[in-house]
Amino acid sequence: MPRVKRGTHRRNSRRKYLRLASGYYLTKSKLYRAAQEAVERSLRFAYVGRRQKKRDFRSLWIVRINAACRAHGLSYSRFMNGLKRAGIGLDRKVLAEVAAKDEAGFRALAEKAKAALAVA
Amino acid sequence: MSTEFPSKNGIERRWHVIDAADQVLGKVAATTAKLLMGKHKAIFTPFLDTGDHVIVINAAKVKLTGKKEEQKLYRHFTGYPGGLVEIQARRVRATKPIRMIEDAVFGMLPKTKLGKQMYRKLKVYPGPKHPHAAQQPVACEL
Repeated sequence: MPRVKRGTHRRNSRRKYLRLASGYYLTKSKLYRAAQEAVERSLRFAYVGRRQKKRDFRSLWIVRINAACRAHGLSYSRFMNGLKRAGIGLDRKVLAEVAAKDEAGFRALAEKAKAALAVA
Repeated sequence: MSTEFPSKNGIERRWHVIDAADQVLGKVAATTAKLLMGKHKAIFTPFLDTGDHVIVINAAKVKLTGKKEEQKLYRHFTGYPGGLVEIQARRVRATKPIRMIEDAVFGMLPKTKLGKQMYRKLKVYPGPKHPHAAQQPVACEL
């Protein structure tokens, strides 16, 4: 059996953490132990953040859609119910974008929703 | 395509006038706060001030329901021992009527620096006059 020394592997694994910690405050980007703690912590936050991002955006879209459809005399829930009954399957992300950029398009959607609500 | 955010300088701001005469305080404040925050716009962005400017007139004539004229207390603490100051709504209306609207709206805005920035767009006047004719404010129905 040849003798195995740990130098290369250790240097590589430390380098991995220090690279992820580049730009961190003071010793957190310079000293291995502090850097490793900071990186592991930040990766935990990042994991949570990737999931929260989906919820945060969905709630922002809902706020924007609500603002737009109230201008047409509909609340958010009535509007979404109307779209569902009208068989329009646009998701909230697209609806929010239509609301912000395409006033005429959103008016057409609101009219369809109102018509579908009036039928039922 | 990713969700777009407006740029800080590209936000269009209008001016609204709200007549508080014979309107319930909470309703005036809630409507005002929504306009200040920009929740009525399809470009609402939580980290930017997307709101409009709001002028509230006839603040002295705002309505309080029930017995709040006598029972609602405006409190603050001076910092000295026993320094709690309690003022009845009736007296606030007599001495500084704009405070009723200002306090109520401030309480409905975010408690952040952005919230303070939004609050600065609020102008309250006790009577029917306001000096913002140049901004061409639009009357807002409650």
